[in-house]
Amino acid sequence: MIDFENVQGAVSLLTSSAQAWIWLVPGLIIGLFFGSMPGISITMAMAIFLPMTLYMDFLPAIIFLTAIYTAAGFGGSVPAVLMNIPGTTSAVATTFDGYPMARSGRHNEALGTALAASVFGTLVSYLLLMFLIAPVSRVVLRLGPLEMFFVAVWGMLLIGSLAGRSMLRGLLAGTFGVLLGTVGFSSAGHIRGTMGVPWLFDGVPVIPAMMGLLAASQLIGLINTRYLIEDEASRKISFRKIVGGMRDAFRQRFIVVRGAIIGVLVGAIPGVGSSISNLLSYAETKRNAPDGDTFGTGNPKGVIAAESANSSSEGGAMATMLALGIPGGGATAILLAAFAMNNIVGGPSFIANQMDIVYAIIFANFAQALLLLIVGLGFVYIAGYVVRVPLRFLIPSVLVVATFGSYAIEGSAAGPITLVVFSVLGWAMMRYQYPVAATVVGLLLGRLLENELARVFQIGRQSIEGIFNYALTRPGALAILGLMLLSILVSAIAKERRRRRGIKLLDEQV
Amino acid sequence: MAQKSGRLVVLWGHLALLAVIAAVIIAYWIDTRAASTRTVNLLLVQPASIFGLVLVLCIVPQCFRHVEHPEATSKETLGDLGKVFALMAAFIAFALSMETVGFDVATFAFMVVGLFLCGERNWLLNLGFSAAFTAALIWGYGAIIPFPFPLTLL
Repeated sequence: MIDFENVQGAVSLLTSSAQAWIWLVPGLIIGLFFGSMPGISITMAMAIFLPMTLYMDFLPAIIFLTAIYTAAGFGGSVPAVLMNIPGTTSAVATTFDGYPMARSGRHNEALGTALAASVFGTLVSYLLLMFLIAPVSRVVLRLGPLEMFFVAVWGMLLIGSLAGRSMLRGLLAGTFGVLLGTVGFSSAGHIRGTMGVPWLFDGVPVIPAMMGLLAASQLIGLINTRYLIEDEASRKISFRKIVGGMRDAFRQRFIVVRGAIIGVLVGAIPGVGSSISNLLSYAETKRNAPDGDTFGTGNPKGVIAAESANSSSEGGAMATMLALGIPGGGATAILLAAFAMNNIVGGPSFIANQMDIVYAIIFANFAQALLLLIVGLGFVYIAGYVVRVPLRFLIPSVLVVATFGSYAIEGSAAGPITLVVFSVLGWAMMRYQYPVAATVVGLLLGRLLENELARVFQIGRQSIEGIFNYALTRPGALAILGLMLLSILVSAIAKERRRRRGIKLLDEQV
Repeated sequence: MAQKSGRLVVLWGHLALLAVIAAVIIAYWIDTRAASTRTVNLLLVQPASIFGLVLVLCIVPQCFRHVEHPEATSKETLGDLGKVFALMAAFIAFALSMETVGFDVATFAFMVVGLFLCGERNWLLNLGFSAAFTAALIWGYGAIIPFPFPLTLL
C-alpha cells in the first residue's frame, strides 16, 4: 500500500534542505491568527498569502499553504469557545459545547480539548491518505479524457449542488466560473471573450480573481459586521487545565477516530468539506453517546467530535485534489493555483510522476499537526487579544495587502483590476447566497473541461456518433456517469436531511 | 391553488446580478461564435452558455417574494449599503490610480478613507496608522518584489 521507494525520496526531499521547514511555523502562526479572527475564513487567509509563495520553491510553498490550512482549522475554534462565534464555518458545531464550557469557567479545558482533537484528527486523516494514495494513483492513471471530463463535471455538479443553500444558484455559480475559465486562447487557437484586452489572451488572471472572490469580497461584506464581545476580558489561561483538556480528548479516542473518518469521507467530496463534517460528526456522536442529553450544555465530547471532523476534512480534500486535480472547495482551489504557479498540473500524472512530492506533503503535514500542538498551545495565551482585533483596522489593511499581492503576481495593473472586478462580483454573489467557491473551481476547471472534451471529440473522429461509439468502449466512463447521476440524487436528498438536522441542532442550542 | 398573501417584494439587487451574469454569458457566447463556428470551438462554451441562461431564467422567480411584513425582513439600512458601495468605490479608485499617482499616495489615501468608512473616527489614530502601514508595506513589498513599482513620495 505504501510505495517505499518514493517514501525514501520524500524523506530525502524534506531532509536535504531547510527551505521546506522554514515556512512551517510562520504558516501555522498566520493560520492561527487569521482563523481565530471572526469573519476571516480559512480560504481568505490562504488567498491573501498565496502571492507570497511566488518567491518560494514548490514544496515550501505547498507546505506553507497547508500549514495555514491546518492551523486556521483550529484557529476557528478559539472565538467559537471564547465568544460563541465560529471563527470559520467549520467551527459551528464547536460553539454548541465549547461556549457553554467557557461560560462555566472551563474555557481552558475546552481550548485544550479542541487543540488535541484537531491535531489527532489531522494526523489520522493524513495517515489514511498515506496508505491510500498509492492504490488510488494506480486507479486514476487508467482514466482517459472521457473519464476525466465526467469526473470534472461530477466535481462541478457536486460543488454547485451542495455548496450554498440553493442548488440552482450553486450550479449557475459553477457554470459561470467554467465559462470565465475558458476566456482567451482556446486549445484550437481561437481567441474568445477578451474584449481586445491583451492580458486576457492567456485567460482571466486566476489568482487575483480567486483573491477577489474568496478574500476581498468577504472583507467588503464585513464592513457592517459588529461582533458582541462580552465578559471574556477576565479569563485567565491555565497551562495545567489546557493539558487536562487535551487529556480528555485522548481519552475519547473512539470519538476522535469516528470524527476523523467522517471528516475524511465528507472532505473528499467536492463542495462539502469541513463546514458540513463538523455538524455531521457532532450529530452522530450525540446520537450514540450515553450522555447525549447533556450535549449543548458543555460536554467536551461535543467539542472533540466537531474538531476532529473539521480538521480531518483537510486530508480528504487533499486526496481528491492530489489524485484527480479537482479542488473540492476554496482552500484546495488555492493549493491547485499554487501548483499552477510552479507550472505543475495536479492530478493523475502528478501523482504518477512525482509521488515522492506527494509523500513529502503528507509527511510535512504530520510535522505540521505535531507542531500545531506546541504553537497552538502558545497561541492560546494571546488568543483572547487576537479575537478582539478591530475589524475597522483589518478590512482596509488586508484589502491593500491583497492588492499589492495581485500586482506582484501579474507585474502590472491587470492583477489589481481583476481583483477589484471579482471582489465586486463576489460580494454581490455572496449577498444573494451564491457559493463563490463554485465559481472559483469553475474558473480553474474550465480549461481542463474544454481540453478533455476536445480530446474526446478528436478521438470520436469529430462527430457526435463517434463520441457515442467511443463512450461505449469505455465502461469506466459510463460507470462514472452512472455514479455521478446517482450521487447527485443521493447528495441532494442528504443535503435536505442535513439541513433539517442542522436546523434542529441549532434550535436545540438556543 | 392557495392564494399567497402579503406584499410582493422585488429583490432588485439580485435581479441586477442575474442581469449582469446573463449579459456576460450572452456577450461571451456571441463573441465565441464570432471567433469561429467550428464544433471544436463551441464544444463546451455553447452548451454551457445555454445551461447558464436556462439557470438564470429558473432563478429569476426567486427575485420576487411575498412577505407579510416587508419592513421586518431586512435589518440592513440604506446607510449600511451606502458604506459598502463607498468602500467599493474607494477600492476601485485605489486599484485604478495606483500606477498613476504612485503606490504610496494611493495606499495612504485608501487607508485613510477605508478606516474612516469602517468606523475609525479618531483622525490622529487614522492618519498615524495609515502612514505607518503604508510605509511598512512599501518597504516590505519593495524588499520581496523583483521589479519596481511606481512611487511618488517614498
